Parts: sequence; structure tokens; C-alpha cells
Amino acid sequence: MEFSPVLYIAIPLFAAFLIPLLGKVSKTLVKFTPGIVLLFLSYGSVLLFPKAMEKPIVQIVAGFKPPFGISLYYGPTAAFLITMVTIVGFVIWLYSYKFIIREPEEKYYMLFMMLITGSTGILLTGDMFNMFVFLEITSIAAYSLTAFLRDKDGAEAAFKYLLIGAFSSTFFLLSVMIIYSYTGTLNFADIARHIDLIPPMAKGFVLVLVLVGMGIEAEMFPLNGWAPDAYSQAPSPVGAVFGGIVVKAGLYAMIRIVFLFFNTPEVLQFLVFMGILTLLIAEMAAMRQSQIKRMLAFSSIGQMGLVIIALGLGTTDSTGAALFQMFNHAIIKSLLFFAAGYLVFHSGSKKLEDMEGLGYDKPITSFFFALGALAIIGLPPFSGFWSKLLILMSVAKAGEIWILVLILAGSVIEAIYYLRAVVKLYTRKEVPDNVRRTPISGLIAMGILAAVIIYVGLYPGVIEKWLTPAANNLLNAADYIKAGLF
Amino acid sequence: MISVPVILSVMFLGGLLAWLANRFVPKGASWTAVLVMAFAGYLVFALPSCGGAFNFQVGTMDIMWKSTTYSSLFAMLIAVLGFLGLLYSMDFMAGKQNLGYYYMNFLFTLGAMLGIVYSQDLVSLFFFWEIMTWSSFMLVIYSGKKEAHKAGIKYFAYSAIGAYFLLSAIVILYAKSGSFALSENIAVFPQMGVWMQVMVITFLALGFGVKSAMMPLHVWAPEAYGESPSGFTAVFSGALSKMGIFGLGLVLFKFAANTEVFVWVKETLAWLGGLTAMLATFYAVFQKDSKKLLAYSSIGQLGYIIVGLALGTPLGIMAALFLTIMHGAFKAMLFMSAGAVYMRTGTTDMTEVNGLITKMPLTFLTALFGIISVAGIPPLGGFISKWMLYQALLESNHYFLIIVIFIASTTAFLYLYRFIFSLFLGQREKEVENIKEAPLSMLIPMLFLVVFVLVAGVVPGTIIAPIGKAMGYLGNFKASWEPAVVFSAWGEKIDMQVIATTIGVIFVLGAIFIGLKDRKSTRLVSTKDIHTAGEVPTENENLTYAVNFNQPFERALGPLLKLSVDKLFNLIGINLEGTFEYLRYVYTGNGQTYAMYVILMVVILILFSGSIFGIHL
Repeated sequence: MEFSPVLYIAIPLFAAFLIPLLGKVSKTLVKFTPGIVLLFLSYGSVLLFPKAMEKPIVQIVAGFKPPFGISLYYGPTAAFLITMVTIVGFVIWLYSYKFIIREPEEKYYMLFMMLITGSTGILLTGDMFNMFVFLEITSIAAYSLTAFLRDKDGAEAAFKYLLIGAFSSTFFLLSVMIIYSYTGTLNFADIARHIDLIPPMAKGFVLVLVLVGMGIEAEMFPLNGWAPDAYSQAPSPVGAVFGGIVVKAGLYAMIRIVFLFFNTPEVLQFLVFMGILTLLIAEMAAMRQSQIKRMLAFSSIGQMGLVIIALGLGTTDSTGAALFQMFNHAIIKSLLFFAAGYLVFHSGSKKLEDMEGLGYDKPITSFFFALGALAIIGLPPFSGFWSKLLILMSVAKAGEIWILVLILAGSVIEAIYYLRAVVKLYTRKEVPDNVRRTPISGLIAMGILAAVIIYVGLYPGVIEKWLTPAANNLLNAADYIKAGLF
Repeated sequence: MISVPVILSVMFLGGLLAWLANRFVPKGASWTAVLVMAFAGYLVFALPSCGGAFNFQVGTMDIMWKSTTYSSLFAMLIAVLGFLGLLYSMDFMAGKQNLGYYYMNFLFTLGAMLGIVYSQDLVSLFFFWEIMTWSSFMLVIYSGKKEAHKAGIKYFAYSAIGAYFLLSAIVILYAKSGSFALSENIAVFPQMGVWMQVMVITFLALGFGVKSAMMPLHVWAPEAYGESPSGFTAVFSGALSKMGIFGLGLVLFKFAANTEVFVWVKETLAWLGGLTAMLATFYAVFQKDSKKLLAYSSIGQLGYIIVGLALGTPLGIMAALFLTIMHGAFKAMLFMSAGAVYMRTGTTDMTEVNGLITKMPLTFLTALFGIISVAGIPPLGGFISKWMLYQALLESNHYFLIIVIFIASTTAFLYLYRFIFSLFLGQREKEVENIKEAPLSMLIPMLFLVVFVLVAGVVPGTIIAPIGKAMGYLGNFKASWEPAVVFSAWGEKIDMQVIATTIGVIFVLGAIFIGLKDRKSTRLVSTKDIHTAGEVPTENENLTYAVNFNQPFERALGPLLKLSVDKLFNLIGINLEGTFEYLRYVYTGNGQTYAMYVILMVVILILFSGSIFGIHL
């Protein structure tokens, strides 16, 4: 059977609606369905990957040719990110398998499937309004997942997320409307072709609305206020979902629009500037956090700042490095959230200081946390090293020594607070006997991520060779237009 | 076929094996580690000093490994010290927890160090540099105590700052030359602009300077050396800090040498080295903890090495490299003997332990040879290096620097004497009555090094031979040497064997004389001997002066040394964190504030879109 891109959206959407029905039959079926779906999708994306890298696959939905119908654009960049999303999604399911036991599981898995649908939709679609729809699907699933535990903190965090997220979708919808009113089309390729029809003033408004709207999703400073709360109050696998999937999709949306419509030096420079601010302020804030998951949330923001800097440089090297960093951040931050989830569970507290001595009591979980920390700092032989090195190489090549220094200053801060957290776990202290154990499925999920981190760290070539086509696809608007319109 | 990847795989897979062995076999980790290191050490020595080349690609980067004469000198130091450190650890660490973790990280550190010296490209150099940093960090925090954690974080923070300077220099070089290969960058470097050159050299020197604990970047060292397990401290101070020296050698003679600023680089480094030597020695005098004392001593000795390198004359480089090897040996001896005392008495505080000479005679012997060597007294190895260093300084007309170095060397006697006196001499206290000599696996490396420093002193040619080859790699330098003769800068010959024999004869005669004189067990004391004012001291009265040992000196220099950079850096760190604490409240936790940020952002962007995006609204 030919694997077709539309299945990335159709299958999880179908599964999301199927899950409540299955819930009537058997709980086990509910638990297994998302895993099977995601495994199938990962298999499909790996299968389709080389083809997409060669030539973008453009699929027409419902028989209308673009620019009139909705098309799916499965190019190298989308292939790269979707493969990442489906694989990380599968691992998150594996981890959730035993982690989510308190609440009605159907709801969790249904929302999770919706979220996967929305994210892959954002990455796939070639239509701007369609992107808005998927963005809403993703966001609504994400709000509900934040408040999934139905406690006070979770509800508060979800409300903040909802409040800020509403801005995001409104702004984005406004920009879609402005664009449509001037160009009369919603297809990305078609808009890009007719972008000069929009008068400069309206174009400026669109730019501001897109940057702010998508900047919220991409955790750009100062629009990221929702993130620390949402990450830390949501169940741990959801934290990984945010860091690994939602934010990546949001950033992709922003950067795709910027590179297609607004690829000017000023806009890119602005992105670099905002990236630096995001990175530095988030790292500084992370240093002073006492809760492990809040610390991870701020670190996540910082990492996105780094990615935004690299994207803003706008060269093939830097964009490729940014994609690599997105991949690394997705797997490493998921590992950290997974480990942190069980550390919180074992210590019964979200605070780092209550986790002293857990390193000896729960050696495997703590080991995974330590490994993730070393990897995200960018130490060899872990995967984070290579993406950071590639980013710095591209920064140096662009001749921006100051940016280099600022990124590294952020990295020093990052190294210090991560190691402080790790060292805290390994403080020798009598820990009361704790019969709780990290379940096997959780350990396997973490083990898979750790293995990927080490494998990519030793053989960065497996990822690196795809970076140039993926980056070119993102940068080169002319090719996109050509492929998107047949 | 021996080549670099074989050696590195032996080390890293050996590390994993040691960890595994600890799970299944009691004492498995230590035996595995020692055997792995012995095998790797054999490979290091068997590897031809200009060969074992291996090139491959990682991603898009070319990785080149090769053994050069320069790297094989350092590799031998690492292999020998690593083996001795592991052997020492067998008994030193016996019965402790997490031995798999200890030996794995130990082997990783050693493997990474070997990787650094064999790297012929900057990416793999940095790759191994970082592995070395984190694996040694793991060993510093091994004990799991709060102080060790603090020391570890401090070590890592400074290392990270250093490493990132290094990384900046590496990527800047890459941006200019388009390649990471060492040879290519060396070739391209002279064509860069002067400011670029100065920046790259400064960044590289800062990066390597942190690891070699050059002042004012040394602040991590005393605590990190003090808190790490002694078996590793010997390697930490003896070999790991030499990676900084290895790098500085490359910076000076491969990069800076072909530029206009070479003279300035040399003079700056030489003075930094000289000040490091002097100030670290002063600080060492103040220490009450034996390992911290040795740590400062180690910083000071590395200062000498930097001075020698930075002189840039053949004799200076020879002195530096000779001291590199000798310092590896004698500082390992001293750390090992301090560790042995710690193992038996449970303390490194020099005011608590006295008079161990009769209880631990062989440890005492090691410490004695160690301090004689540090002090630079013939006929031991330390003398040769000091001799060459002074000559190099005279020859290159650095008269002020000589004064600095001279002050440092003489002051060194104060702390060296304190070290050996406080621990081994003086009145023995009751608590140490049941102390035994250090166990065998610790004595073997200690005594081996005793023999080594003696041989190095009497037949220095054996060590100067590989050093001469290494100097050939750094530039067109030649070392003049014969097996047992040291040449002075003016062509005079000093035959070490004559000196050694003379000293040996005097020593033996002296020993016989004292033996004859004191053969009676009781000694008559004259009535004028009134140091206890006529009272007979009781047993629990302390008559040794290990407390307030160098009081006059401390009184004289104390105020000066209170102005420490350590405190300054800590202050900066604390203030920065305070600022972060304020900044953190950008995130108020209030949804309304966050919404306001969004609106403000929109307003600002719309108002200033002209200047930001070039689009006027």
C-alpha cells in the first residue's frame, strides 16, 4: 500500500473519535490504540522519508486543485519534523501507559490523539486557513490536557494558557483574513506568489500579527508567560508533549510564514534579537527555580530561543542546525520530563530540595535525568553537542561574534543550574524506604530516548545528512511555490 | 595493528566493562580498570610516536587522529600516572560504594585525555575536552557530600566558561579557514587580521588556562583537588591539569609564533605564570589541610611550567616539559602519601595528625622524596627542571621574573616543610598508636615514583630524549642532552652522577655519624635546656607546633592575601544570581500581566514597525 500524507491527519483523528467508543468495550483497547496508531505513523513516516527528501509530495484533498482546494505539502522540512513528532509521540504514549492511571483514560488518549492530529496538520498543510483550524485543534487539546489532573493549580495554569492562547488564535485568524481580502487565496504557495498585491501597510500588520500570534506558540519572549505554568502543572507526559510537539509545530508555522512571505533582513534580525532575549531571560529565570518542572519549562523556553536565533540567521547551515536542535530538544526534553515525572512521584514533592538522595534510592530514573541534563547542556558524546556545535559554527560563519558570546553565556548558566539539580539528586542522605517503583513501560520509554540520544551523539550523520535538504526547503520560497502549485 | 582508535576504544569500552564488572564480581571493577589501563598503557608505549593515523567522518566533519612526538610525550604521562592512580585506588577505594561509577569515570577521564592529545582536529579535541570535564566532575562529586558538590559545581562552572572560550575560538577559526583540521588552521592563521589573531589567541589561552589553573582562573582548583578521592587527585593534578599545558604549547608555538604579537603573548603568559607561581605558593603556606596545601602547590608548579613555555627558548620549553613530567610524578607522590595518611587516620587536617614516621615509614619516604623533588634539591628530578628554568630565564634576560620565581621557590620550603613535619614528624599522639602502614597496592605506585624521581635526577637524559623529540614537533627546537649530563646555557656540563654520588656519600656518612652518636637510647640534656621551663610535660600536652605553623609569615602576608580573586568571583556570582532573582519576576504568575505583555508587544511592534521591519504603518 502506498503510504499517503493524508493518513497522518486522518488516522489519529479517526482514532480520537474511536477511543471513547472503544472505552465502552475494553480499557486495554483504549490504552493500546494510540500506541498502535503512533507506531504505524512512525513506520509510515520513516518509509516516506527518503521520498519526501528527494521531491516534496503534494497531495490534493477532496479533488480540487490548488489554489482552490486544500493541499497537503509533505516536503523535506515537514517530513523531518513529522518523523520527529510521530516517534516522540509514540514514546510519550509508552510512558503514559502506566503514568496516566488516575483519571478516565479515554479522555487523556482522545485529547492526545487530537493533539497529534493538530500538530501533524500544522506541519503538513499547504493552506493558511487550514493551518488555523489545526492550530485550534492543537491548542484546545493542549488546554484540556494542562488541566487534566483537575486540581486547582492545573486549572489556573490552563486558564492562563487559554487566555494567552486566545490571543494567538485571534491574531492568526486576523492575519488570515487580511491576507485573504487582498490576495483572494489561502494557499501558501499562491499567497507567496501574489504577496505583492498586499499593500505595505497591511503587510506590516500581517507580519506583526503572525509574529505575535505564533510567537506565543513558539514561546518567544515576552509572550511565553503561559509556558512555565502549563509545563509544570500539567501531567509529566504532557510537559513532554508541549516541549516535543506543540511548540515545534507553532514555531514551524511562524517560520514557514516568515520565510515564505517576509524574508527580509530586518525581520530576520528581529528574530535573532528576540531569540537572544528569550534565551538569556529564560536561562536566568531557570537558574532561580526551586521546582524541577518549572526549571525544565524555563529551560525549554531557553532552548526555543536558541532555535529562533539560528532560524533568524537565515542561512542554510543555521536553519539546518536549528532543525537539528529542534529534534534534540524534542527527545532530550521529553527524557527530562519523563524522569522528572517519576522523581516528583517518588519524592512526593515538586521541589528540588525534597529530592535529595533519590539518586541512590532510584538509581535508574535519576541516571536518566542526569543523562538528559548532560545532553541538553550540550556535552559530548550526546546528541545535544552536535546541534549546539552546528549552531555556533553557523553563527561564527555569519561573523556574529557577539551572538556567539551571548549564546555561550546562556549555556554557562544552563550548565550550572542543570548540574545543581543533578548533584542534588546525588546528595547522600537517608531516604525513607520507598516501595514505589518506576514502572517498566516508563523505563523503556526513557531507555529508548536515552539510546537515541547516545546513538545520535556518536553518529550525528544519521540526522545531519537530512538537514541541508530540509533547511533548503524551508528557506527557498521559489521552490515551494513551484511545487505547491504544480 | 596499533592505532589511535584502538587505544581509545580500549579505554572507553574498558570503562563500561569496569562498570559492568562491578555488578557481577566483587572487586571486579578495580581489577578490570587496572588491567584495561595496563593494556592501554602498553598500546600507548608501543604506538610509534609518529603514526597510528586514523581519519574518518562524523556527519560532515572530518575527524583526524594521529600520534605525534608531542602528543606521545603527554600520552605516556597520562598512561603511567593513570595506571598508578588506578593501582593506588585498588586499596584506597576498597569497600567503598559505587565503585563501578568511580572506575568507569576514571577510565573515561583517562581515555578522554588520550583523545585530546591524539586529536589532530579541533572538533575531536573539543569533544574529548568536554568528556574529560564531565567525567572528572563526576569524580569530584564522588563522595556525595555537600562540600564535594559545591566544589564540583564550581569546577564545572569554571571549566564550562573555559571550554566555551575554547569553543568560540574553534568556531571562529573554522569560519575563517573552513576546516577544523589543526594543520590547516595553523597554516591559515598568520593571514588573519591582527585583532582576530589576538582574539583567537586570548580565547584559546583562556580556555586552556582554566584547566592548567593559571591565575586568576585557578579558583576552582583547591576545592576540586581537595574533595576528589586521592587516587584520582594524583591524576587530576599530575596529568589532567597538564592538558592545559598541552594546549598552551600548541597556542604558543603553533598559532602565536607566526604572528606579530608573539612577543606580547609570550611576555603576558610568562608574567601570568610567574605571578601564579608566587601567589599560589603564598596561599599554600596558609593551608591547614594537607590536600589543599598540595593543591595550591600544584597551581604554583604549573605556574613554573607556564613561565618556561612562555619564554619560548629551547631551554625554557625543555624546562617546562621536563617539569611537566616531574610534576606529574612528584605531585602524584605527595597526593598519594596525603591520601594514605587520610586513609589511615581519616583526616587531611595537618593540625590533627603528628608523628607518623615510625608508623608509616614508607609513606614518609615517599613524602620526603616528593618534597625534595618539589623544592628542586639535587639529586632528584625536580632539581634538573629548576636548573634549566633559571638558566632559561637568565639567558633570555628576564631578571625581574627571576626574582619572582626565586621568591616562589624559597617560600615553597615553608609549606613543604610544614607538610612533612606536621604529618610525619614531631610528637606522636596517642590516637595514632594503632596506625598501620598503607596497604600494598598503594605502596607500589608510591615507591615506583620514588625510584622514578631518583632516576630522573641522576640520569635525566632518559626523560630528555622524548622531550627533545616533542620539542621538534612544536618548532625548530633542539634539546642538547646526554644521558647523565645537563648542559648549561653557556655550554658547561654538569654531570648529575657525580653530584648524585657526592650527595649519596654525604648522606650515608651523615646517617652513620648520627647513628653512632645516638646509639644510646637515652640522651643527656643539659640543665640549660629549658623549653618546658623545668616542668615535665604530661602525655596529653601538645608540644608540636603544627598549629600556627608559619605564624610570622602569615601575619606579614595575611592582609595582602585576603584580597583574593576567589572572593571577587564569588561576589560577582552572588550578585548575578541576585539579579536573576529579580529578572525572574518578569514571570509574575499572573495571567493578566502576561496578557498585557502580549498587547504591549503588539503595540510596540506596530508603533516601531518602521524602524524594526522597515515597513511603515
